[in-house]
Amino acid sequence: MPEPHPHGAGRRWLPRSTEGWLVVVILVFGAFLGLATDTFLTFANIFDLLNISAFNAIMAVGLLVVLVAGGIDISFAVAASVVQYLTAVTVMQLGGGNWAIGLLLASAFGFMLGAINASLIYYFRIISIVVTIATFNIFFGLLMFFTRGRSIYDLPDWLLDRIIVFEFETPGGDFAFLTLPVVVMVAVVAATWLFLNRSSLGRQLYAMGDNAEGARRVGINIAAMHFLAYGWLGVCAGIGGLMQAHYVQEVVPNALYGRELDVLAAVVLGGARLGGGRGTILGALLGVTLVTMTQNGLNLMGVSPYAFQMVVGLVILVAITMSNLEGLEAFLRRFARPRRGQTGGKG
Amino acid sequence: MQRRMFGGLAAALAIGLMASTAMAQDMPRMGVVVKIGGIPWFNAMEVGIQEQGKELGWDAWMVGPTSADPALQVRAVEDLIAQGVDAIGVVPNDAEVLEPVLARAREQGIIVITHESPNQENVDWNFEMASLKGFGEAHAKLFAEAVGGEGEYALYVGSLTVPAHNAWADAAVAYLEANHPDMTLVADRFGVAESVDDSRSTALDLMRAHPELKGFLAFGSQGPIGAGRAVDERRKAGEIAVVGPFSPGQGQRLVHDGVISGGFMWNPMEAGRVFVTMADMLKKGEPIEDGTEIPGLGVVSPDAETHNIIVDALVTLNKDTVDELAGMGL
Repeated sequence: MPEPHPHGAGRRWLPRSTEGWLVVVILVFGAFLGLATDTFLTFANIFDLLNISAFNAIMAVGLLVVLVAGGIDISFAVAASVVQYLTAVTVMQLGGGNWAIGLLLASAFGFMLGAINASLIYYFRIISIVVTIATFNIFFGLLMFFTRGRSIYDLPDWLLDRIIVFEFETPGGDFAFLTLPVVVMVAVVAATWLFLNRSSLGRQLYAMGDNAEGARRVGINIAAMHFLAYGWLGVCAGIGGLMQAHYVQEVVPNALYGRELDVLAAVVLGGARLGGGRGTILGALLGVTLVTMTQNGLNLMGVSPYAFQMVVGLVILVAITMSNLEGLEAFLRRFARPRRGQTGGKG
Repeated sequence: MQRRMFGGLAAALAIGLMASTAMAQDMPRMGVVVKIGGIPWFNAMEVGIQEQGKELGWDAWMVGPTSADPALQVRAVEDLIAQGVDAIGVVPNDAEVLEPVLARAREQGIIVITHESPNQENVDWNFEMASLKGFGEAHAKLFAEAVGGEGEYALYVGSLTVPAHNAWADAAVAYLEANHPDMTLVADRFGVAESVDDSRSTALDLMRAHPELKGFLAFGSQGPIGAGRAVDERRKAGEIAVVGPFSPGQGQRLVHDGVISGGFMWNPMEAGRVFVTMADMLKKGEPIEDGTEIPGLGVVSPDAETHNIIVDALVTLNKDTVDELAGMGL
């Protein structure tokens, strides 16, 4: 939900939101990569970026819903692994299944796992980070216990066959194409946007994230909101997990372990507040874009892999600094009017 | 009714527990800490460890950390020391990080055996089922053949700190530089080959950045798979070669589709067996010296100074062999 921001009113040419700053950073960085390489700004590469980031984007908008509601979830990536297994095993029991059944099952299993988190958080009044660190370990532990770490390579054909939705041959003889995960990403993002911005439930979610007690007093059903938020992320994680199994064409138990941090970093980079009540779909997507772009740009520019982590860290730091409005304001103010002692107080 | 059932269950559990602890007390115990749990390679190794444990009367098990993190391995070894095991096996992620904790294990009289870590300090023996040079060069030869001896190529390793992968890569690069001067490396090696996702997306980027790219040489079990998926996605099978060691079951389809040209491996199940076999020999005080025959390794000529036992027991992976190996559950 774009909020009017009181800061920065004096400099009209500067963006007034985190999202605005991120757009600036991404455009500048993109222009730089476009000049530094002759491959970055090509249709084929832009389509690649979409294909590669579809999974992270699906997870990111799901996580955004939980962050907006004032919670956090560490368990969703391993929950996605659990969903991959449950879905793969179930469709094979059903004799093969198809995409409709697969997506339905993945969403249902995902919702169930999210609901487990929600009920622990709401009924036992445990803070979300503690609950989801516990369920992170429980989900992963159960998965390793029951699968004995075995991967599934023998998946049904519908899941293995690559689906290209749109393609064209570029003048260079290269193929630019969009795959199924991108379509699913667009659908999930659109649904989440409608939910957060165009439904009263979404408004209630923001209200709860901003002030849970206030929300309760005006009659918002807090329990339902918890199930909605964590269930929504669960569904996104389930669908994302199915997409990952689709594009790597196998189900490996620890393939998604650790991915939660990448997604969390991207969403927070996009301006979502860990305390809840603030964060937009656009911001989350911009965060994912910046992270994916950095990795892609490093490979395209031929930067030594030994320097990768350092550069990724630097880019995140620069982006955060630029988009942290209060921090930037304070910094600029200090430059404009260097003073000793009190720095203007409130106002 | 329900209560009775639970009572019965509890009793059965208790008896089972007592039986297993009683058995475990008589048996020598060994824990083998591998790089990461839950990937096919180490699943196969686990089978070998358990089978040979049964065979030789050891209580032997595998510990698989959740990520390829040296610190997790240190913690796992500490746990094993605390449990008072007779022998510890490790497939190190980082040789140096493990040195202090392995020294502590040996001080307590625990037998320490490593695998895939030829420069390891503080071990009784480190064993290799392929010499670093032999393995790297075997792949380099196959790779040069697959790309026709010229053109640009990219190189993957599991991570930039895995000693064995980097030594193979060094040997392969040295061989290619000496014998195929027309083959050029497009960048430094990429440390992505422990993850299918990372290997895939890096390969997609590299194919974009280097339109003339002729091949991926990938050391690290997920590298050929991820690079292969990317090559397949771009419909470059046949134009861009993929060579490297991988798990046959996982790569079977890609080999038959002509995406992965081939590679070499050793049998991780066999390596698992060797861990227990060697621990058993050392526990019984049997000498390991020039000419000793160790089941699974053959007749060895150990290097007492570096504590290395190195043999070349390579298995070829290609269209003709992959199905049989996959059938073994690898």
